[in-house]
Amino acid sequence: MQEDFHYYATYCAAILAGYTHEQSMDICYSAQLVDMCSRTFLIKIKAPLSAATTQLQLEMMDARTDPVGLQDITRIWVSFHFLPADLNAKVRKGAGRLYKSKYRLICNTNSELLVNTVTLANGNGLQAAGIAMHILADTWAHRYFAGTPSLVINNTNYYFYEQIANENGEYKDIPISFRHSTSVPDDLENHKYTNSLFQSSESSIMNLGHGRAGHLPDYSFIRYKYLPAWGDYEEIIKDNPSDFYHAFCQMIYAMQYLHGDISKFMINTYAWNTAKPYEDEIKAIIKKRQLNAAADWKAFGERLSGKEIEPFDLSKYESEYIDAEKDNKNETFLGKFILAAMAQKSMVTNKIFLSGNLLAGYSIDFNEKGFAGIKDYKMLVEYLQQHRTKTT
Amino acid sequence: MTKLQRIKSFIFGLFMMFGGVLIIAIGSDAASIIMDLLTISLILNGIKTIIYYSRMARFMVGGDQVLIRGLILLDLGAFTGTLYNISHIYIVGYLVGIHAFGGVIDVMHALEAKRLASPSWKFNLFSGIINIILAVTCLVFLRSTTIAVYIYGVGLIYSAFVRIITAFRKTAVVYITPS
Repeated sequence: MQEDFHYYATYCAAILAGYTHEQSMDICYSAQLVDMCSRTFLIKIKAPLSAATTQLQLEMMDARTDPVGLQDITRIWVSFHFLPADLNAKVRKGAGRLYKSKYRLICNTNSELLVNTVTLANGNGLQAAGIAMHILADTWAHRYFAGTPSLVINNTNYYFYEQIANENGEYKDIPISFRHSTSVPDDLENHKYTNSLFQSSESSIMNLGHGRAGHLPDYSFIRYKYLPAWGDYEEIIKDNPSDFYHAFCQMIYAMQYLHGDISKFMINTYAWNTAKPYEDEIKAIIKKRQLNAAADWKAFGERLSGKEIEPFDLSKYESEYIDAEKDNKNETFLGKFILAAMAQKSMVTNKIFLSGNLLAGYSIDFNEKGFAGIKDYKMLVEYLQQHRTKTT
Repeated sequence: MTKLQRIKSFIFGLFMMFGGVLIIAIGSDAASIIMDLLTISLILNGIKTIIYYSRMARFMVGGDQVLIRGLILLDLGAFTGTLYNISHIYIVGYLVGIHAFGGVIDVMHALEAKRLASPSWKFNLFSGIINIILAVTCLVFLRSTTIAVYIYGVGLIYSAFVRIITAFRKTAVVYITPS
């Protein structure tokens, strides 16, 4: 998903869930920040690098693909963009351990990890809520791909068709042609899209996530069919308009829970009724063939709240964080975002590790073994300890 | 990284370092050793690719291509092993290609990093310049087998250092059970 959904649509969902304009702005800002909080950004503001929630193209080109490098990449993409659906999924007989580990990281909706993610955000501020909404929304857009570099899971081939409905509602298959030039925008009229270059190396960064399917999973209007590398020659029809509407209604429901209106967050539950009065309008935005739906979502959000939605500005909270005293950084907007991001990464890594899968690295339970490992997490441990002392 | 992976990485790093030093010490006579290394590396890659096919790629749509690639690599390795008295120019060509490509990529990274205000641009630029200098040195001393051998040796020692450092990196993520 892109800024149109993570920023503007998340704002709309937050308003519908009962948050004020100001709170909704903080939530949607945090949701969009997940796509911007790279190591380059963290270096600039002198923040712990382990809080990275994304990697720039440049950083990925630099990233090492030895076991340690792959674990680092996997932690970022699995925790924030490709939440695994089933860490104990059954795998075909004869498959090696590495294949099993990668297969079990395939992202899908309504998982146990989603419940953990939303529950973790509960009571941890608007930044944590925004992060959780980004992750939730991405489970719909990025389903069927894994957040780890893998040719055998994420590759696609020439069998790729866009399905366009005629007046009778019947779908016609139109072949999609892919190119590898990132400087040329996708050509919707002629069904020409950009994707990552085929790399035969299993762990090439080109085989991360949905790179081989280009930006198709991120466009709300598109419906397409293809053969996923892992799917044993069974085609998948990806109906983004339906998935994006589900994502929107599940975000409203999740935020009603985070707002305190619902006592328990459950999977396969959606705020259909809350969205119902606006269903036609929302579906019209989702189905409109355009590369970026930001203007439409913005207009809808401003009608909902009666307030102006300012454009996303990455530098908005930079100076507040940089200028804060060391002891007060955790109380700034970015400080809270960083803590929430590290808590999410720590939780997902732990669940994957406990399932016997080492692709996201090692996890040490502080309560059992005390502090060890990556130093950055010390600040999370200290903060949580202080937080617990205050609340008890 | 598991403990076994760390130990493997460390021991392999030591071997690589030893190999690099040995190649530099032997000088121009090491050219044939380098050719042998290329042969072994192609054969091992072929075997590795075939194992990759049997454990992973055979479950992938279009995975048969991986098997074909493995067989070709294996065949190529066996063929390279049959070549005797090959001109050192192939080794120099290999080095020029590797360093020039690496250098240009590093400089491009540096320019992009500078545009994004990332401090890593200085290191990238330095690494790029070093790589380009090595490529140019290979070209200038095209006729010198000794220089080519030295550059290969230095490259091997650098890779060994990276492996050893990686083996000691702290990688675990701390998790606090919610109360």
